[in-house]
Amino acid sequence: MVELLAPGGSPEMVREVMEAGADAVYVGPRGWSRRAAAFELGDEELKECASLVHSYGKKIRVAINTLPHSREIPLLLKKLERFLSWGIDAVILTDVGCIHAVHRAFPELPIHASVGCNMTNAQDYAFFRELGVRQVVADCKLPWEELSAIRRAGLGVEVLIHASTCFTYIGQCWMSSYARQVWHLDAEGKNHFLGSPNRGGLCHRLCLAPWDVSCRHGTAAWGVKLRNEAFFLLEDIPRCLELGVSTLKIQGREYTPALMGAAVRLYRQLIDSCLASPRSFDPAPWYARLEEIKRLRDEQRARRTAELLRESIA
Amino acid sequence: MGQLEIELNTQVSTLEEVNARDLAPYQAVYLGNPYCPKHAGNLLENHRELAEAITRLKGMGKKAYVATPAAPRTGELGGVEKLVETAARAGADAVEAHNLGVVRLVHRRFPGLPVHTGCFANVYTDLGAAKLKEYGVRRVTPNYEVSLEEIHLIREAGGLEVEILLHGKMPLGLTNSCFLLNFPDHPCPQACREDFWLTTRDWVLKITGTVVWSGKDVCMLEHLPYLLESGYRAFRLETLYEPPEYRREVGLIYREALEHMAEGRELLWPAWLEMLKNWSRHGFCNGYYFGQAGRMYINQYGEPVSI
Ligand code: SF4
Repeated sequence: MVELLAPGGSPEMVREVMEAGADAVYVGPRGWSRRAAAFELGDEELKECASLVHSYGKKIRVAINTLPHSREIPLLLKKLERFLSWGIDAVILTDVGCIHAVHRAFPELPIHASVGCNMTNAQDYAFFRELGVRQVVADCKLPWEELSAIRRAGLGVEVLIHASTCFTYIGQCWMSSYARQVWHLDAEGKNHFLGSPNRGGLCHRLCLAPWDVSCRHGTAAWGVKLRNEAFFLLEDIPRCLELGVSTLKIQGREYTPALMGAAVRLYRQLIDSCLASPRSFDPAPWYARLEEIKRLRDEQRARRTAELLRESIA
Repeated sequence: MGQLEIELNTQVSTLEEVNARDLAPYQAVYLGNPYCPKHAGNLLENHRELAEAITRLKGMGKKAYVATPAAPRTGELGGVEKLVETAARAGADAVEAHNLGVVRLVHRRFPGLPVHTGCFANVYTDLGAAKLKEYGVRRVTPNYEVSLEEIHLIREAGGLEVEILLHGKMPLGLTNSCFLLNFPDHPCPQACREDFWLTTRDWVLKITGTVVWSGKDVCMLEHLPYLLESGYRAFRLETLYEPPEYRREVGLIYREALEHMAEGRELLWPAWLEMLKNWSRHGFCNGYYFGQAGRMYINQYGEPVSI
């Protein structure tokens, strides 16, 4: 049965998406995931969320998908040991060294390879499977054939159905930290690498600044944004189900809990109706419902982008 | 400090660029453009010319490393295998991979052929590097976001050779579709011969199709003595998408600096920096080596300065 995975950017959001019908939620421990600290959880919050999610009979996944300092790997293993004692169900990782170390230390713990691993081909999938990975979060830029190839490699496939695509491959961009990077050590000694989406999670979204494009002959264009758009896979969900995709993921820890709750409710009902009668699926009414979610999402995202770009010169 | 053991290397896309004059300062050359198959004359797309380029480099007494596509899809792996076969047959000294799948492919099909990983292979940690060693990797270029403090750890624990970007624009992002296709006045493949700059506030980036580059040139000249003292011996001058004169002149300045250092002669910082500046349109930075924002420049005294 396909799993609907929802974001948990705060304890309120975790509760909201559980109520709305998510099968699983992913959360990031503060300083360790690809989001700003405001949308990550402190350890105590994470513990409470784990018990809340389990009280619904659902699963909680911990995203530790930034690329740390070599000296932080022992700290990561220590943290993970605590998280395991709280019953977390799986971990999302990016760094090859971290995957190797976690698999060696906790062989039973399912490891999912983050979208930041940027896998693009069958040899990649085999490489990460050999490392101990069980499921791959596929980049939005991957064509359908690759999703089948991931399955053929014996791995679970996680597909983003409601997300933002980056201008670059995810995990292959350090434009933001080119503009601003601040090393900030927290009380545990974790560097938050502020400004680096790969390392600390906070991205200043340089791609969305208004860029003037010039060449030898003068200015070719003014105020161009590098393509970074909303990505919705609504009408292709039946195809995902047919392909045997394991997880359909909603991205959005930085939005409001109410908005994410609304998104989860929509996709929950859509998936259920699709599973009940796959042949008669009509995307039209769902698009109409998605419109309002999209409008609110675009508004919140534009506000956040403006804030992040402003902060980049701080 | 034995000068002969130090490798200055660079990268070229086409056979035309493989000539003794422009490559004189270098001991090794990466062949081919890993970022775009359509780049006119890309050696990765013409295996006969690639073999010829390797032979030419060997004739000049240089090492030949062969690049591979940075993000190949499953359907392209057959072509990658043929490319590596050509490289191996023609006597290439190593292949460079940005993609971990390509690392695995080379390790399985061409065991013994050394692999160097490029910046997009995302080597950030010592354990990551050590794992790649099991896959035939002999040299890593850590991701450019990794600081020198961390690079030291990668080298020590990984037991691998580490390559350092010494000068030139550094890639900041890799995407799958060509940005320049938005400009019909500059059709493919000529668009790549044109310099496109992105400017906002006082920031400048360079863009070449599928790669965004730093607008400033990374310049580690002032830190070269420290890098040598720390034991690094493989240095890249990034000259992909630069004119041949840039490759030659910048290389010659570093070569001269290395000679002065080896022979204990006076270090001519102001003169060398001045000469390098002639080849840099938007000034210098030194990337992320000191834990700062990539566009900043820290001089040899540890001061952030604008240069
Ligand atoms: S700058 Fe843009 S393309 Fe780069 S990581 Fe941030 S959002 Fe993605």
